[in-house]
Amino acid sequence: MAADPRVRINWFAATWRLPMLVWQFLFFVVPLLFLVYLSFWLVRNYRMVPGFDTVNWVKMFAKGYFWDAYYFTFGMALLATVVTSCLAFPCAYALSFKLSETARRWAIFFLIIPFFTSYLVRIYAWQVLLAENGVINAALAVIGAGPYALLNTKLGTVIGYLTLTLPLVVILQTLSLASIDRNLIEAAHNLGCGRLRTVFTVIVPLAKVGLIIGAVFCFILSFGDFVSPYYLGGSKPPTLSILIIDTTKSGQQWPRAAVVAVTMIATLLLVAFAAVSAAYRKRA
Amino acid sequence: MAEPLVVFERVVKRFGEFAAVKDLDLEINEGEFLAIMGPSGCGKTTTLRMLAGLEQPSDGEIRLAGRRMNDVKPSERDTPMVWQTLALFPFLNVVKNVEFGLKMRGLDAPARNAKAMEWLKRLEIAEFAERDIAQLSGGQRQRVALARALVTEPQILLLDEPLSALDAHLVIRMQGVLTRLQRELGITFVYVTHSQSEAFAMADRVVIMAKGEVEQVGVPRAIYREPVNRFVAEFVGRNNILTGEVTGCDAGTVTVQSEVGPCIAPLPDNRSVAVGDRLDLVVSADVVTVSATAIEMDNVVACSLISEEFVGSVVTLFLETDGGAELKAQLQQRDIENLDTRSGTRLFLSWQRSSVHVLPQ
Amino acid sequence: MSSERAIAWFLRAYVGLVFCFVFAPIVSSFIFSFNSDRFPTIPLGEFTLHWYETIYNDPDVWDALRVSVISAVSVSLIATFIGFCTAYTDYRYRFFGKNAYLALALLPPTIPLVIMGLAMLAWLSRIGMSGHLYSIMIAHVVLCTPFAMAVIRLRLAQMDPSLEAAAWNLGAGEWRTMREVILPFTAPAIVSALCLTAAVSFDEFAVAWFVSGLNKTIPVIILEVLQGQVDPQINAIGTFVFITSMTLVVIAQVLLMTRQRKGVPGG
Repeated sequence: MAADPRVRINWFAATWRLPMLVWQFLFFVVPLLFLVYLSFWLVRNYRMVPGFDTVNWVKMFAKGYFWDAYYFTFGMALLATVVTSCLAFPCAYALSFKLSETARRWAIFFLIIPFFTSYLVRIYAWQVLLAENGVINAALAVIGAGPYALLNTKLGTVIGYLTLTLPLVVILQTLSLASIDRNLIEAAHNLGCGRLRTVFTVIVPLAKVGLIIGAVFCFILSFGDFVSPYYLGGSKPPTLSILIIDTTKSGQQWPRAAVVAVTMIATLLLVAFAAVSAAYRKRA
Repeated sequence: MAEPLVVFERVVKRFGEFAAVKDLDLEINEGEFLAIMGPSGCGKTTTLRMLAGLEQPSDGEIRLAGRRMNDVKPSERDTPMVWQTLALFPFLNVVKNVEFGLKMRGLDAPARNAKAMEWLKRLEIAEFAERDIAQLSGGQRQRVALARALVTEPQILLLDEPLSALDAHLVIRMQGVLTRLQRELGITFVYVTHSQSEAFAMADRVVIMAKGEVEQVGVPRAIYREPVNRFVAEFVGRNNILTGEVTGCDAGTVTVQSEVGPCIAPLPDNRSVAVGDRLDLVVSADVVTVSATAIEMDNVVACSLISEEFVGSVVTLFLETDGGAELKAQLQQRDIENLDTRSGTRLFLSWQRSSVHVLPQ
Repeated sequence: MSSERAIAWFLRAYVGLVFCFVFAPIVSSFIFSFNSDRFPTIPLGEFTLHWYETIYNDPDVWDALRVSVISAVSVSLIATFIGFCTAYTDYRYRFFGKNAYLALALLPPTIPLVIMGLAMLAWLSRIGMSGHLYSIMIAHVVLCTPFAMAVIRLRLAQMDPSLEAAAWNLGAGEWRTMREVILPFTAPAIVSALCLTAAVSFDEFAVAWFVSGLNKTIPVIILEVLQGQVDPQINAIGTFVFITSMTLVVIAQVLLMTRQRKGVPGG
């Protein structure tokens, strides 16, 4: 009798299954776990020493500037999420319900392009456009307004976040709106539900999952981004990401940077978990 | 006598808790056209897939030409299949699709091209050899799928509801193509379908399955005229099934008090029947006579007409007895030309005792 | 219904505005890259190719381009291979822990790049692999694989599930079927994934900045120039970067769209 075939290694299956497991384990899971471990290391005489001490956590959490950065980052990410979701919705609504199938496909086609093209250069372009003597202020001067300080403000940061997240959020919202059964909307209209009321009582609840997923992505991206708050917001105050960069690049305080990083991941996990459970919760 | 080409011996297939096929015993002879029929979920497709090696039996044994096949890989079986979706390779043109099996067997390019072209000619689609699959009509694709499966000249061809996506008129034409091919090649066809008309029109023998078990195996006529149980009688369609207690029993006939009144039927062979037994009787819709006045027959039932349904030249009348039992009668169009077929018309259904089939179980 | 029409026009204008906002930085970079003023604003200065000449004559840019291209090409090859393996595994097999397996495959893009950069830098330094060109490649493959996997998985979802079994049925073994059926069927998605992952790698600056050491990629150079003054050179480099990644992304999308229509047989 041959051995039980289920015990034999299936080389064919293993060939396809293993590459991702090995790579993502070695270069994704392990680095992140190592980062957690690193946050407990010590720094002595400007050298990192492996160890297991909570001193970095204690010191970092005792610093006022850490909490300033934390609240600022969280607040800005939340603001960006609300602003982006609200600005994206009318666009997604128009793409889903007012345009033909073909037009919608092309719109998504063009929205995917910027998502994959240098964010850094686009932020640089905004820096030029928003500068005190930049294009926007020059245009405003023609009608006798300005100049306004646009760069190194919260507005600048939010414009940066919008640049990063708006195309993605519009796409995600459009996909979820487009999958709503048109008959339900027709039914709402037939029942004498006004246009705006239909949007809020029928369309938004039906597309809830998609809208929340779009918002979560927006939050994650804004929360972790360092380019917009640095180049458009002037790093006043720094965000957590900027804190990580400063701490890492100026010497050997990697363990403290790791503390910030781990705190960020924990925050994102909590936010994502809360949002997803809200998305899938049955309405009372 | 040598063993039949295919033998299923106590074959079981379980998917988790669910048994798709239970204790299947089935023999398929060389050169026969066998149809496996049943409602969806009856295990007919699983049976076919096990024969092709796409599912492994959980228990039992499948033999093909005397060889145990349970652990043989699908690619080493030579049991080509025509798929419900046809599963033609969309990135290959017609002739390359047909060549596929030959290429896998290591034939060189000129030889397999010649062979493939031969089959395309045989199926009358040689002119489309260089076309993409997407450019073909449904019927042409069907022929490509057939050519692709037959080009390696197998002993057996498996067909999984291949005609289900075609228009009605194309189905009839493809049925003709299939039966002709099967006769000419003399190989075994195993044809899975849920369509009664396809199975009865083409098959030498028909297997009726339900819930993973074989209900009846036989030639189409036997399945139609002598169903072995109520399931088969109902599944095969246009049958009137009458149930009741035996009230009289003598010299080769029984009388059953059924829902349409007393019905005289032949006494089944090898079966003792006593007064008071319950019997199921089958009266095919196409053996009854319909008339405006009562005629001299073994069984006559007065009914009123409810509705009629035409399919081609065949008409089916739906009637109701005074007691509320429903009956069907299937006739040729010309047979009812002299009848008043308005709803509610009083009509008489009559049949001889010899056309009644008593269900054995 | 005039209010109906007014709303329709408003929504159209709004969509136009959103697209303007999204494409404004790209267009402005392009325009200013040909503008002679040191500080770009309106009215525009004269047309010039000066900034392109400057970057053309800058050996640092050429070095960075070499690093960028080498990394983009190798990353796209490795990431697409791993992405294909993962997509096929998801398509073909069910196994215990599959959800965790898929989560592992798709999670990397949700981790902030700065954190990925720090984690990579710390870990690769620890095992003595940081500061090399291959350090960038290693990190970028992690980031790019999910995109490759997603694109190829979408294509596999369009495949008739009987197609693979049909090849086995006609005498092709599993490996042969992979070569004769799965690969040809997914070919457009594979090329698409190659383009997309190359674009992602070509544009990625944060992780590359952390782990690259002296092997700077084009985006890392841009990042470092940005930390100084406004420099119109960036518009020229930026336009080049935009054109490169846009071309790759457009090819990627067109491949997926056209084959979608052709691959699925009609009625």
